[in-house]
Amino acid sequence: MKVRLLTTGFKSAYENMAIDEAVLIHAQKNHQSTLRFYGWKPAAISIGYFQSLKEEVDINECQKQQVDYIRRVTGGGAVFHEAEVTYSLIAPVDGQFISQDIISSYKKICQGIIEGLKILGIESQFVPLNDIIASGKKISGNAQTRKKNVLLQHGTILLDVNVEKMFHLLKVPLEKLRDKLIKDVKQRVVGVKDLLGKQVNFETCQEALIKGFEKALKLEYEKTLLTASELAMAQELKEKKYSQPEWNLMR
Amino acid sequence: MIKKSVYKIPEGKLVKIGLETVDDKIKKIKITGDFFLYPEEIISKLEESLVNCKINKEFLIKHLDNFWKINQVDCFGINSSGLAEAILTAK
Repeated sequence: MKVRLLTTGFKSAYENMAIDEAVLIHAQKNHQSTLRFYGWKPAAISIGYFQSLKEEVDINECQKQQVDYIRRVTGGGAVFHEAEVTYSLIAPVDGQFISQDIISSYKKICQGIIEGLKILGIESQFVPLNDIIASGKKISGNAQTRKKNVLLQHGTILLDVNVEKMFHLLKVPLEKLRDKLIKDVKQRVVGVKDLLGKQVNFETCQEALIKGFEKALKLEYEKTLLTASELAMAQELKEKKYSQPEWNLMR
Repeated sequence: MIKKSVYKIPEGKLVKIGLETVDDKIKKIKITGDFFLYPEEIISKLEESLVNCKINKEFLIKHLDNFWKINQVDCFGINSSGLAEAILTAK
């Protein structure tokens, strides 16, 4: 399967989500598949399409700590993006490379992450609907949408976990529950650093994932850049959608 | 009066409800949470469809089953009985 490979480095939440959507919209016309890897600078909280920003995120705390906040086009929960590698796969739902069946497609795409983690020395498993676990803890969360017969699946591979910081940026139902929630999440979530007992940088993890996806999904890469048209659309989506309260505060 | 609930669907995701009622019927509803619906934009139509629905579990389940079917919605982490229960527990 021929796929464009994009490594766009660290960008703001607004740029990152705008690029994913711009590539998705272009794929509806050119039917190309694209695998992209990226990071987030500044750190950001993304919320799922159906979540309420005001209910989930402490906006004042985010502003104080210079953490961006953004609504995704995909469902799922709130994610704190700091020490991680994020990927997105955009591909036509052709019934072969990408199945009509949502769970099958999650499972297939997640094999790329599992293979990439194996290269780093980590054994992991897919847990339906959308998680990958290693040593019994979540190391990767994934979410997908389908628009006009094109799939966008994006997800994160945690390099390190800062649960305390995350819970100071997210709202908790009761303040007295904060410590318990932090303890619970620490028991359920893990990063590459904790599993390997050493720091793995963004580039090393990205490289392993590129190889993992190539092997697991039998990909042939065409290393490329965003086209001028994709860049222009991403810029417009960033300015008119993703950085706007109309979108982020929509629910 | 606005009623609220936070309900974890068994084997599913978290659903949060904001609800205004009149005579045991839904006047206004907002459904949020970390579930998945395909297509996503259907959520507004779903909320609109629930206006004037009786707050009765069987009635709500029937309404929701019908809604998913007519609108060809795929649900993950959310289902009719879980969403009906979330609505019923709003206080």
